[in-house]
Amino acid sequence: MKLTRREFIKSNAVAAAAASAGMSIPGVALAAVPQSEEGVRWDKGVCRYCGTGCGVLVGVKDGRVVATQGDPDAPVNKGLNCVKGYFLSKIMYGKDRLTKPLLRMKDGKFDKNGEFAPISWDAAFDIMAEKVKATLKEPTQGANGVAMFGSGQWTVWEGYAAVKLMKAGFRSNSIDPNARHCMASAVAGFMRTFGIDEPMGCYDDAEHADVFALWGSNMAEMHPILWSRITNRRLTANHVKIHVLSTFSHRSCELADNELIFKPQSDLAILNYICNYIIQNKAVNQEFVKKNVGFFQGVTDIGYGLRPNHPLEQVAGNNGYPGADGKPKGDPNKHTPISFDDFAKFVSEYTLDKAHEISGVPKDRLEALAKAYADPKVKVTSYWTMGFNQHTRGTWVNNMIYNVHLLVGKISEPGNSPFSLTGQPSACGTAREVGTFAHRLPADMVIFNPKHREATEKIWKLPAGALSAQMGYHAVAQSRMLKDGKIGFYWTSTTNNMQAGPNVNGEIYPGWRNPKAFVVVSDVYPTVSAMSADLILPCAMWMEKEGMFGNAERRGQMWRQQVKAPGDCKSDLWQYMEFSKRFKMEDVWPADVLAKAPEYKGKTLYEVLYANGQVNKFPKAETATVNAHAFAGYTNDESEAFGYYVQKGLFEEYAAFGRGHAHDLAPFETYHKVRGMRWPVVDGKETLWRFREGYDPYVKKGEGVRFYGYPDGKAKIFALPYQPAAESPDKEYDLWLCTGRVLEHWHTGSMTRRAPELYKSFPDAVVWMHPKDAEKRGLKRNDVVKVSTRRGEISLRVDTKGRNKPPEGLIFIPFFDEHRLVNKLTLDATCPISKETDFKKCAAKVVKA
Amino acid sequence: MNISSAIVHASPGQIALVKSGISGLNGVEIHAISPEGKFIVTIETEDDDGNVAAYESIGRLDGVMSAAMVYHQTESEPDLEVSVEPRP
Repeated sequence: MKLTRREFIKSNAVAAAAASAGMSIPGVALAAVPQSEEGVRWDKGVCRYCGTGCGVLVGVKDGRVVATQGDPDAPVNKGLNCVKGYFLSKIMYGKDRLTKPLLRMKDGKFDKNGEFAPISWDAAFDIMAEKVKATLKEPTQGANGVAMFGSGQWTVWEGYAAVKLMKAGFRSNSIDPNARHCMASAVAGFMRTFGIDEPMGCYDDAEHADVFALWGSNMAEMHPILWSRITNRRLTANHVKIHVLSTFSHRSCELADNELIFKPQSDLAILNYICNYIIQNKAVNQEFVKKNVGFFQGVTDIGYGLRPNHPLEQVAGNNGYPGADGKPKGDPNKHTPISFDDFAKFVSEYTLDKAHEISGVPKDRLEALAKAYADPKVKVTSYWTMGFNQHTRGTWVNNMIYNVHLLVGKISEPGNSPFSLTGQPSACGTAREVGTFAHRLPADMVIFNPKHREATEKIWKLPAGALSAQMGYHAVAQSRMLKDGKIGFYWTSTTNNMQAGPNVNGEIYPGWRNPKAFVVVSDVYPTVSAMSADLILPCAMWMEKEGMFGNAERRGQMWRQQVKAPGDCKSDLWQYMEFSKRFKMEDVWPADVLAKAPEYKGKTLYEVLYANGQVNKFPKAETATVNAHAFAGYTNDESEAFGYYVQKGLFEEYAAFGRGHAHDLAPFETYHKVRGMRWPVVDGKETLWRFREGYDPYVKKGEGVRFYGYPDGKAKIFALPYQPAAESPDKEYDLWLCTGRVLEHWHTGSMTRRAPELYKSFPDAVVWMHPKDAEKRGLKRNDVVKVSTRRGEISLRVDTKGRNKPPEGLIFIPFFDEHRLVNKLTLDATCPISKETDFKKCAAKVVKA
Repeated sequence: MNISSAIVHASPGQIALVKSGISGLNGVEIHAISPEGKFIVTIETEDDDGNVAAYESIGRLDGVMSAAMVYHQTESEPDLEVSVEPRP
């Protein structure tokens, strides 16, 4: 049969859609999985964007990715893609792709105020090594003055290689991921309530729940594929109800049966009211609570994560900062046991009247939500993202949603699920599980715990004491320490903190341009961050390297390298390993540590960290044999460069941390065959619901439910109050400013703004405001206005209609637009426990420009 | 040239409304409609412009509950002929 290419492609497109929809179409005889007659080679992949982890089929022709398709065999998305996934085939081919290392130079040598000029990798590593060595020797900087800011978009092995380089190599704990800005409160919430990280449930809950409650999450725009599963459930089961809680009305509210628009920060009061309602109406699941839960009271004067000289920190008795005597002022994480009756008394003041008064939500709506959680016959799944996490009480609010689910026992079973969604493709797999945070080690271990350091040293074949117990600088602290001159070498990758970080004017920009700091940015496009650096390194991305991501439901997924990166682009993995060859152990370890491992004397960091008999264990030939089922003669650039199957070696060494410790991963080969597996994977079987007998292999027969993250097998319910935000509107700055995303752009837009269609569909950021607020200021839709806070100002257009509808008193501005940097306005207040910034609340004013 | 396919989900009882809405969009073609209101559509544009605009327009139509992309391919020579064997 003869067809034009147009007809052929269209026919394949229709067949694929029909297969995903479960429909048959007469006359469409071509298969759902595209054929290769045209010379397009197809292989499985994972979407590059959000934490949903959709499977995509990637079509390669003449060394280029030309087509993508939602993978019909992927359980996550069952063949569907959202509009961002739709342009995956273009993200690698933006016209301004970085292809050469670029150093700021004047008269042929580095100058912080020079112009960017191309240099070789060799020259780039020369100056980087020189700066690292100088920082290590500088008494005011030292090991923690060598810092790295990484990413929830790193592949698993990139994050793992980075954490080894930093923590074992340079003995610096100053490595933190951009996930600090998005997931840290969720992590701290899990660790405090359950003693182990990551959701107990999975996406399958979407097909089992009777009620969905969204807390500070606009899934319709940010997680469209999961939203389509919820939409499907809502439309096919008549009894299903959706509650949406937000500080402004957005697209997810269109499907809501109960819309609750609350005043910023009042989610704390609403959650306590729900607990009070459950207790008052005798809806506590007594048996569950008695067996599985302990009650605790947390300290409350914990401050707001601001600089120590801020008035709010000086009055905080438990912020953990050094006090007048130099000792830490308390501990924001401290909590003491109380009884159920104490807890009941604590929440009893959060009556319906009080919750209504604090939140502004109509009473009938609050009651409808509380009823859904309380009714023992109704299965409830709660979803949340940045509304909870980017919150100066982010850890608390995570604890408090678990309070609700635990009181009624609605947890760890199909449809009953408190579920923390993620925004980055491997915030879970890399940032959290690998442990690329300043305080963490792999598999939920922490640097403060001597046993955890010992276990890590053993797996990494390091002498005792090689790992440092000194807390490193987390994301926000890194910006402050750069400004204060305490960080001398700063390397960021796969993230854009000059745009995404808070208080750019006050902290980040002055920090990066401080002459005491040398700043390296590894990226694929000239982002705002790249242009603010001293040295830019060009990276390979997505299908230009072999990778593994871990999504929000604990699913690890791998892909093969499909195409070559352009120019001199190199993967982050190659960058870390190759750079480590520049150091002798004597350059980086003090003599007393090295004396305990005399066999490492005179060796390079590369030999100790990577060519250690483990990472280099699998010969290069395995790269082809492991992947022979996909295509013949497969190889990848790192295997070629180092002469062994680098990814497999790093994976297997990393997997040793979690196997047998409730974080079990499947064998490497398995991931290259299947559409991902959810850990713990024991005896080849993945785990859908954790902590419950019959689903989770770590819960023994007869135990029923066991929250084994804590030795006593119990989760913690916390008594915590409503407290105001760090900064609230006043006479001068009279509006709440909330920031976030829009559907078309992903985070800072460094990839999506390069797809012409996405750029055109939403070119410039706008400020959404209520028509009455606009009228009061004499503004019309599309007027250019000046939005200012105590920290800076930006100009942009007003929108009073469209997808986001703020209530009076609140404005919303997305952060994707590098020409309208909303983070010049935001406040760098964080949750004092998780250290995650509150990007959702500060005080602003709007005037006509 | 860009060719893509999508599944559009109409609200209950809104199939006729959605059908007339989609029919009014340039470059968008309906290939099938299921009794419960799922549409299979293709979006075809000669250049990059308008593809997302079309997708956005579908999403904004009255009666549309959700729209999800499935397949996307770019092609520089759409009029070349190819031989294909239908699968059994």
